[in-house]
Amino acid sequence: MIELNNIEKYHPAKGIKHYVLRHVSASIASGEFVSVMGPSGAGKSTLLNILGMLEEPTYGTYHFMGEDITSMNERKRIELYRNHIGFVFQAYHLIDEMTVQENIEAPLIYKKIVASERKSRVADLLDRFNMVAKKDLFPSQLSGGQQQLVGIARALVAEPSLILADEPTGNLQSAQAAEIMSLFRKLNREEGITIVQVTHSEKNAQYGNRILTIEDGVVRTDTPVAGQL
Amino acid sequence: MFRLNFRIAVRNLLKNKAYAAINIAGLSLGLTAFILLLLYMNHERSYDEWSPGLENVYQVRERHDFSSPDNQERWQDFVDSRAAALLGSKVPSITYATRVDNNWDNEASSVRPERGEPQLVKGLLDADENFFRVFPYVFVWGDPVSALKKPGTVVLKQATALRLFGTDRVLGKTVRLFRWRTDPGQALTVTGVIKEPKGPQSLAMSGILRTGNRDKDPDRPAASTYCAVYVRTRPAADTSALAKTVSRVYLEHRKWLFAARKISWKAYRAKGNYAGMKLLPLKQVHANPPFGENWLEKLKPLLVISVFLFLISVINFVNLATAQSVQRAKEVGVKKVLGVYRRQLVLQFLLEAGLQAFLALFVCIALVELLLPAFNAHFGVSLTFWHHPDIASLCLQLLLAFVLVSLLAGLYPALVLANYDPVRVLKGSYEHGLKGLRLRNALVIFQFVISVSFIIAMGVMQMQMNFMTHRNLGFEKAHLINLRTNYSEDFAERLRRIPGVESVSTTTQVLGNTFNVPEEITYKGRKINLSTVTVSMDALSALKVRAVSGRLFSPNFKQDTINSVVINEQAAKLIGPNPVGQAYDVLSEKEKNTFRIIGVIADYHYDGFDKPVLPTVYKVTALGGTSSTNNLLLRIAAGNQQAVLARVAAEWKRMYPDFPVRYFPVADAFEQVMQADIRLKNLTAVFSVLSVVLSLLGLFALSTFTARRRTREIAVRKVLGATDLQIVSMLNRSFVVLIIAANLVAWPVAYLLMARWLSGYAYRIDVPLFPFAAATVLSVLVCLLTVSIQAGRAAQADPVKALKYE
Repeated sequence: MIELNNIEKYHPAKGIKHYVLRHVSASIASGEFVSVMGPSGAGKSTLLNILGMLEEPTYGTYHFMGEDITSMNERKRIELYRNHIGFVFQAYHLIDEMTVQENIEAPLIYKKIVASERKSRVADLLDRFNMVAKKDLFPSQLSGGQQQLVGIARALVAEPSLILADEPTGNLQSAQAAEIMSLFRKLNREEGITIVQVTHSEKNAQYGNRILTIEDGVVRTDTPVAGQL
Repeated sequence: MFRLNFRIAVRNLLKNKAYAAINIAGLSLGLTAFILLLLYMNHERSYDEWSPGLENVYQVRERHDFSSPDNQERWQDFVDSRAAALLGSKVPSITYATRVDNNWDNEASSVRPERGEPQLVKGLLDADENFFRVFPYVFVWGDPVSALKKPGTVVLKQATALRLFGTDRVLGKTVRLFRWRTDPGQALTVTGVIKEPKGPQSLAMSGILRTGNRDKDPDRPAASTYCAVYVRTRPAADTSALAKTVSRVYLEHRKWLFAARKISWKAYRAKGNYAGMKLLPLKQVHANPPFGENWLEKLKPLLVISVFLFLISVINFVNLATAQSVQRAKEVGVKKVLGVYRRQLVLQFLLEAGLQAFLALFVCIALVELLLPAFNAHFGVSLTFWHHPDIASLCLQLLLAFVLVSLLAGLYPALVLANYDPVRVLKGSYEHGLKGLRLRNALVIFQFVISVSFIIAMGVMQMQMNFMTHRNLGFEKAHLINLRTNYSEDFAERLRRIPGVESVSTTTQVLGNTFNVPEEITYKGRKINLSTVTVSMDALSALKVRAVSGRLFSPNFKQDTINSVVINEQAAKLIGPNPVGQAYDVLSEKEKNTFRIIGVIADYHYDGFDKPVLPTVYKVTALGGTSSTNNLLLRIAAGNQQAVLARVAAEWKRMYPDFPVRYFPVADAFEQVMQADIRLKNLTAVFSVLSVVLSLLGLFALSTFTARRRTREIAVRKVLGATDLQIVSMLNRSFVVLIIAANLVAWPVAYLLMARWLSGYAYRIDVPLFPFAAATVLSVLVCLLTVSIQAGRAAQADPVKALKYE
């Protein structure tokens, strides 16, 4: 599904190239659940942003579902967002002025899906996540874990094939974090959604089936998870 | 999607109520000024549109140099009455031409209905038989063809008929018309009543008479009478061919007249004279007055002021929206990741600006309704909003204004917001508040340049007003009454007998009604141009003007009725030192008159302060011709002025029962002269207060956002040991720098503007320093105050809370 070939990313700072990523090559197959780990500033988030087409690599090629992303125009990229990729953020990033229901519905509106289908899909997700009672609340009225559930519901509603999650449990207590992680695993196993998450936590990484470790912009290790939780 | 965006916009407004209120209030104020002006301009543009038949009506303009205020050649509406017959007969495409009185000073005549008291009616114009063939007025009673068939007839407007008779069924009734005090009067039969047309008219009249005086042109070629002439052409006449024919016919006529008078046409042309005649479509008459500025030019200062006010409110909007954009950054980031196009985001934020502009429009319409009565009173118009005659085009204009406001105010913030980089926003680094900081600063400076300039202008104007109202006019304006009639010795004598009347005199030069006759004198071989004013013996002493040297006129000196003159200081300057006792000559073709100067008086003001006092000669004698105008000056003893005036009026009524008395205190004339200036000053005051308030509101909101954006910085500084005061002054610093920069720009701008404004006055103050200093101090102080409110709150906030979430 994802082919990274010799990706480099640097920020020019006062004439010196400040490397974030160096010679990163990796391939992620459909249906994998990959955790990207590494110390702060190693380039994990940048890698995720590149995967999510939010940032462009300085060098190297990136093929997503067989298509070369680096030579793609904005319109095409937006089509990809809409149809194949869902994002989950550490700080949830729900839109404060929208209710739970509206937040989940938003991606469908931009996909120009008709109202009746939007309603049924949102209702379905609310039901699955046990949030029907909270559908008319605003994000500020929810707990962190609940907000993240909404965030995941929003990512799922467009039925993506890939979910990119940047420290999805970073702001959560461990009980809530475990809940989110098992949800991810369930999605991965039962619906075959490919998941790439960035995490600090060794424990959370165990929910996936492969761990990429990045240090100083270089992929150090690439190991499968032995005894998956 | 529209519905969702709309909901987001509404929720955002509700969340930031203060911000929304400031934006909407600001925009609606700016819009109100704009729309009031729009209404006024619509009104001015709608002159003479009351009938489609007016398309073929033209006013005749003749180019000549008399009766113009500056003795220059101008295209005047005061034309030789022969033009009507000439154009009517010689120009084939002209079907009818009519002669009408000019209605310059809106002089009132006295009209006495069959039963009842005489009433003063303004705008009764004498015309010839063709008037209603040219002007398609709608008759309520009577008909346009026969109404003016015979001399001695009158057609009244409905309102005039109601005023005189109490009903408009007045056909066949007679009125007597008196043009002046001693006029024996003329009986006129009412032969028609016309409807008041919709919309303003350049030919303002209350009724059309046919006395017979306008029917004929003088027989002798050397004599001419002057009046206004209007013509009607065939529909769809070729205008350029028409213009050529009119010009040719007129020149032939002038040459024929010259030949008949045995004057050389060539010599006349050689002197640089230029004769011409043209037709001006009636629709353009109002916008092209023969002299002076047209309405658009008069409106310009107001237009500029309201555009500035409008800009200030738009700037507020832009500033607040960009400053507030920090709050919306996350929404933009998330939406971009969800796959929203930039274009859609721009549209969304434009929609939000549009929503606020729409609310502002409603507030503005309410404000306009509220302000219209005052506005109408101020400008002497009767504008309406809901009952606007052309409501459809007004709505279209409003719609355009709305779109303009939305785009001006919304486009830049929308672009800024839509350009946010999702990666950086979603990482949580919201330091994007810095984006557009330079522009925001520039806009704040611009706003305050306008506000400070307004304050300075207001100050300078106030000082000039004080200067003018407290200036010594050179004569005593209190207890001086001007009866609007000419001087006659026996009536004056009767008035003098009334106790409390100190003197009765006449002059052609007094505040409120001045008429100077230019004259060239020869003094010791030098030619000097002066104005001549004919006065009665005690006029100068009645005005209580001050003699600088020599004496004023006195009945004790026989010589004063023969060839004595008094001059003013301006004239003395031209004549030379020690003029008293000197003699000068006035040469005419036939004779030489010698006058002796008996005194010099201090200049006194007889006109606005924008006009200088002219070098003037005052004389009592009839030598060299006299002039007169309707000024009968009464000096009344102090105290009980009303009782004395009542007796004067009673005496008048006994003598002249057919003509109501008219008088005004000269002090009122002074008020009137000042009126235009006072208006402009009051308007500037209102606008400067508004602009300052708006700018401060903007500053207040901006400082709120700044304080919010720097919450963490403030918290860190507090933890490091900064006092509240230090933090307040830190937040103030950046704003005060802006205000000072604005002052630096405003000073020269205001100086130039005010120097130019003052140069319009012949009597003026130097541009004073005080308003400049005051404006600077004031603007810095209110800025400190405004910012400190928010800064104080930010400084007192608990730093722990701000630092908890990282």
